[in-house]
Amino acid sequence: MTGWLLDPQRTRQRTGWTPARVTLAQLVALAGPVAVTLVERGTPQIAVLMTALVTCLIWELTFDLIRGRSLSWHTATVALILAVLVPASVPLWQIAMAASFGVVFGELVFGGRGYGIVSGAAAGAGFLVFSFIGTTLSLSNEALALATLPGALLLLRGGLVSWGVLVSAAVVLAASGFAQTGAGGLPTVAASVAFGLVFLIGDPVAGASTNLGRWVFGALAGVLIVLFDTVAGPAIATAAIVFASLLASIFAPLIDHMAVAMVIRLRRRRHG
Amino acid sequence: MLPWFRIDRTRLTEQTIHDGPSVERIALLGADLPGLRPKLRCGQGDRVERGQVVFHDRAHPDVVLVSPVSGVVESITLGPRRSLSALVIRSENAQHDPDPLVIAKSTPAEMRSALLAQGFWPAFLTRPFGRIPAPDAVPEAIFVTVTADNPYAPDPRVVLGDQLEMFTAGLKAMTLLTSGKVHVCQSPGADIAAGLGARIRGSFFPAGRSSGFASTHIHHSHPVDASRSVWSIGYQDVAAIGKLVATGVHDFSRIVAFTGPRAKQPRLIRTVAGASLPDLIRHEALPGSHGSPLCVFSGSAARGRESSWLGRYHQQVSLLDDASSHGKLPESVVMARLRRTSSQLAPLIPTTALERALAFDIPVVPLLRALSVGDAETAKRLGCLEMVEEDLAEVSLACTSGADYGRMLRHVLDELAEDA
Repeated sequence: MTGWLLDPQRTRQRTGWTPARVTLAQLVALAGPVAVTLVERGTPQIAVLMTALVTCLIWELTFDLIRGRSLSWHTATVALILAVLVPASVPLWQIAMAASFGVVFGELVFGGRGYGIVSGAAAGAGFLVFSFIGTTLSLSNEALALATLPGALLLLRGGLVSWGVLVSAAVVLAASGFAQTGAGGLPTVAASVAFGLVFLIGDPVAGASTNLGRWVFGALAGVLIVLFDTVAGPAIATAAIVFASLLASIFAPLIDHMAVAMVIRLRRRRHG
Repeated sequence: MLPWFRIDRTRLTEQTIHDGPSVERIALLGADLPGLRPKLRCGQGDRVERGQVVFHDRAHPDVVLVSPVSGVVESITLGPRRSLSALVIRSENAQHDPDPLVIAKSTPAEMRSALLAQGFWPAFLTRPFGRIPAPDAVPEAIFVTVTADNPYAPDPRVVLGDQLEMFTAGLKAMTLLTSGKVHVCQSPGADIAAGLGARIRGSFFPAGRSSGFASTHIHHSHPVDASRSVWSIGYQDVAAIGKLVATGVHDFSRIVAFTGPRAKQPRLIRTVAGASLPDLIRHEALPGSHGSPLCVFSGSAARGRESSWLGRYHQQVSLLDDASSHGKLPESVVMARLRRTSSQLAPLIPTTALERALAFDIPVVPLLRALSVGDAETAKRLGCLEMVEEDLAEVSLACTSGADYGRMLRHVLDELAEDA
């Protein structure tokens, strides 16, 4: 629909969220984890980052030129997440393939970020693991988890990640970790899932969009992570988070539909 | 710049009432009367007396609008679909106080016809639909809004300070119009509607986002739907009705706050509804810090509209920097590249900021999706009938899409009103 835009006088008087600001906030939040990754893994990881970044931006530029829009830079966040998830041992052409699949089929074919149904980064990482036998995504560690924290707080404050999703997923994971190894394993669980929870499961576009739905979505993602986990002990494989994010995203519209139906039924009962 | 990194330079309003400058022109605005098509009872150049009927609603001839000043009708402009755009009256210099009217007001029917004839009916707005009620409609309850919708608006307790008797008389008049309760919605403090009988009830709403709006009060106290209707009315109108009932004098004055970063002295001003804003703010504006031109809003910066006239329901005049000059400020290259230039709607990213911006217990993202595709049925099931445009102003600002959901809501409400 056109002609429904907010009066520009009003939008400039009080700043609100725009897609560009969402991208900016996510890039700022990702700066910490990316920096830690680059410092830990050295120069080869810079090649991974550049490959992912260039591939993603070329695809976005192509789609923007076809559709006649200005470059939104959204796909840069996909590239940064991939640069954290993918180890430098993976050949660069495979990374380019994965990044292409992620941004094109995760976001761009639907019309760009905000219109897709799954997280572009999760789609790309999932493609990498499925297509090239033997590829494993890099395990998260304490330093990465700590670097995720400030960004996570920024996103929570801005409402770009929901408390409901994070808390319910964390509760499920903590319960499962406790059942396996007792309280001693919980720090390992937290360190291995922090980045994935915030940037893959927490993606507001791919997740549920009602308050009730977000709690259910987070719990579902937590259960799926536990089911898909292939690493023995309390640590959790990154691939498990990626596939849990993809599968949970596919269920998100159903979860929302049921949440809305429930809210409407409660309304009817309350109002007579 | 991220949304929470903005410094609000607006100073708090000094809550003392001053007499405003005399205004040369006043206007009755179509923007305040959604869905009303006028049948004019005066022509351009006609002389009208204070309190004289200037037009009535084509659908309900009993619903009339009266002139708040004596003067000459300067211009009448019509908008799309034979709606009114503005009817401008140039006031005479010598305004004499009218003689008190003798009004029969003891029975509900008499009260109703007195308020209709005196042009008070547009003071009421219905929920659902946010329109002027039909002359014979009986609401399930009446909500008197005695709250300020933002920290800069006039404090109702100050405005009503010396009019409390009139306000009480007005509340008693309200009980004749409804079979249910009259809710007096206030901020916490002494109950200004105490001891007025069982049907006049004080309700208290702690300060917070959207707690000053009639829709929020109604949502929490008496939710409405297609079959249940309530009315809302502002406290200044209730006091004016009280004055009419008690003394027979129709008081058109209105107390508004000058606010905004460009207001020289933020304070309360006594003026007339529909007053010309350029007349009103002639000596009130500060020069812009970067030489930016002034932008005058009727209402608050978030919910009001850019206008030359004070709106019927507005209690604030916001003096702001003109937004178009913001582009000239130095801006980083990165931000310029990231700024959206498209005239199309951007995607809706379902952030939790949207939930925080809506004061209703309603799933907001499904509602916004329904509104943006014009799905009236779904929007109705989700509870859009409880809202009017102003309730979605915060959401529109919090949403990434840049859509004016208030306008979309009005579109859906109009469709639902036609079916009802």
